[in-house]
Amino acid sequence: MNLNRPVIRLLILKDWQLFEKQLAAYVLAGLGALTLLGLARPWAFYLGSLALIVVVVAAACFAISNSLLVERKEQTLAFVMSLPVSPLDFTISKLLGNLLTFGVPFCVLLLGTLVVILSTPLPDGLVILATLLFGHILLAYSVSLAVAMQVESEGWNTFAMIGSMVLVNPFLMALGQIESIQGPIRQDAIAWSLPAALILGAQLLVSVVVLVHTAWWHGRKAAFY
Amino acid sequence: MTAAFAVSGLCKRYPEFALQDVDLSLPEGQVMGLVGVNGAGKTTLLRLLTGLAAPDAGSIEVLGHRLPEAQVAAKRDIGFASEDMRLYRGRSLDWHIELVRRIYPAWDHAYASELIRRFDLRPAQPLGGYSHGQRVKALLLLCLSRRPRLLLLDEPTTGLDPVARAEVLETLADVLRDEGRSVLFSSHNTHDVERLADSIAFLHQGRLVAHADKERFLDNWRRVLCLGGGAAEVSGWPELAQVRAAGSQVEIKVRAWSEDLPQRLSAAGLSVQRVDPMALEDIFVTAVRTGGAA
Amino acid sequence: MHSDALILLSAADSRPMYQQIVDQITARVMAGDWGPGQPLPSIRELAAGSGVSVITVKRAYEELERAGLIHTRHGKGSVVADRPEPARGRLEGELSQHLRRAIDVGARLGLDRSALHHRLDVALEPTPEPALRSKGTDS
Repeated sequence: MNLNRPVIRLLILKDWQLFEKQLAAYVLAGLGALTLLGLARPWAFYLGSLALIVVVVAAACFAISNSLLVERKEQTLAFVMSLPVSPLDFTISKLLGNLLTFGVPFCVLLLGTLVVILSTPLPDGLVILATLLFGHILLAYSVSLAVAMQVESEGWNTFAMIGSMVLVNPFLMALGQIESIQGPIRQDAIAWSLPAALILGAQLLVSVVVLVHTAWWHGRKAAFY
Repeated sequence: MTAAFAVSGLCKRYPEFALQDVDLSLPEGQVMGLVGVNGAGKTTLLRLLTGLAAPDAGSIEVLGHRLPEAQVAAKRDIGFASEDMRLYRGRSLDWHIELVRRIYPAWDHAYASELIRRFDLRPAQPLGGYSHGQRVKALLLLCLSRRPRLLLLDEPTTGLDPVARAEVLETLADVLRDEGRSVLFSSHNTHDVERLADSIAFLHQGRLVAHADKERFLDNWRRVLCLGGGAAEVSGWPELAQVRAAGSQVEIKVRAWSEDLPQRLSAAGLSVQRVDPMALEDIFVTAVRTGGAA
Repeated sequence: MHSDALILLSAADSRPMYQQIVDQITARVMAGDWGPGQPLPSIRELAAGSGVSVITVKRAYEELERAGLIHTRHGKGSVVADRPEPARGRLEGELSQHLRRAIDVGARLGLDRSALHHRLDVALEPTPEPALRSKGTDS
């Protein structure tokens, strides 16, 4: 199957241009949260980690809703579809565009978090918890993105986004129940236990499978409607 | 001669609507006007012709490309603008031009600049501040400046003020200078179709009820005013779309005019007072009200 | 734009558009604006310039050809006929016929000569022509 690479590249660039300012603002807000985290005081730690989660979740929802839901609602989608693209080209451009618009702030904040943990008096074992937390948001993001590409209903999309994102709370509580994960978090050494590694592996695997399946599903379609 | 597009046996079913068995083609260099009430299937047909929708049955060929399979190649040569298509409100016309120009190698920069002047658009202003008419003109500019071989326009003049409408129509008329370029446009405004179209396609309830060159189409119809009492007698004649009596005056709308009709009418007791050509608008309304047979 | 390629069409005119084109070109030839042998604008040029479909202009040219007012050489476009006189004669005949019919109807209404003159004067009064298409770009 032939992909119209130049147009895909332009469409990704277009989405990047449309959202770069807002995404930069999310990164700035995230860096503010990281500063709080870096103070390594209990109140600042809780406030900072909460703010960090809010910022990453907000950036994820922003990227999905602006590139897909708003485009559908404001009828700019019709304009994009009139350009020389096939449904597969369009899907690929949306997937890659989203991985870029969300991926950049996501990676910046993930790296920032790790740097803050490692370079401050915070126990280095927190790296495991932080990575699993980002892993969950990545998974929730991938599922929400797939739903947004598949389902037109605004209600279901909101449900998928909010539902999957707030699951981060029970997820953290569940992690607290697993002794082999909970134990090393307070230590200054980074010791990946088997359950922690399995959870992270599952998060990454499911994310990739969901996105590839979405691309395959749309690639089979000959037309948009 | 190659056809700008040709469809045959075209069917597309939606839960509440179906386009049924449409055969239609447009020779290159011609303008076709698509008329029909809301929900007649105009938008569905245009979506099929751009490859956005796949037909349930039948074949579609646009500029030599089979759709929807070859929609990417076809869309390189198609300029499509529909009423429900919007541009990015937060971005300027210049930004859109830059995006579209990089996709279409045939982009005509001089023509785009001329259209900006003619349409009186401010290219650096975010489109959120444009009026409806300005947005329509911006969209048309993006379509026209890429010099497409086929223009597909869904309601290009709907909602425009008279001045903007005149500008848009004059610009469309300019396209006629090039005999390699073809236009299909749908419109509620039958005056626009009557003026610009070489042929007329008339959709009603998902079916193509008439398709003819415009002059022949208009020539078939007449409004005949008669005096006399034979209205009931002639009302069943197949060539008469509508017979209405007001006292002794009888108005007849003829869908298949022939020169001997006045004689036959007077033989039936109706003396013909005057015979007038009909505007497309009048034909359209008459045809829809009398069940769509045109 | 060349003003030759401009026909002023009115949507409010009850004549079909091709007839308006025929009448305006006939008037230009009769007025001597366009002399014998003068090339007419091409069909596409006239259509684009006047904002009317190609098929309508084509039909108008066919009517003009039939009336002997223009000649169309295949592939070379149309020119005003060398001697549009036959066309003139035909139009004169048409005018006389209309006048005779007007006089007949006048007689049935009981109008005398001066009343008929008056009616003709009234009919000649310039009625405001609605909705002439204005072109900003022509010379």
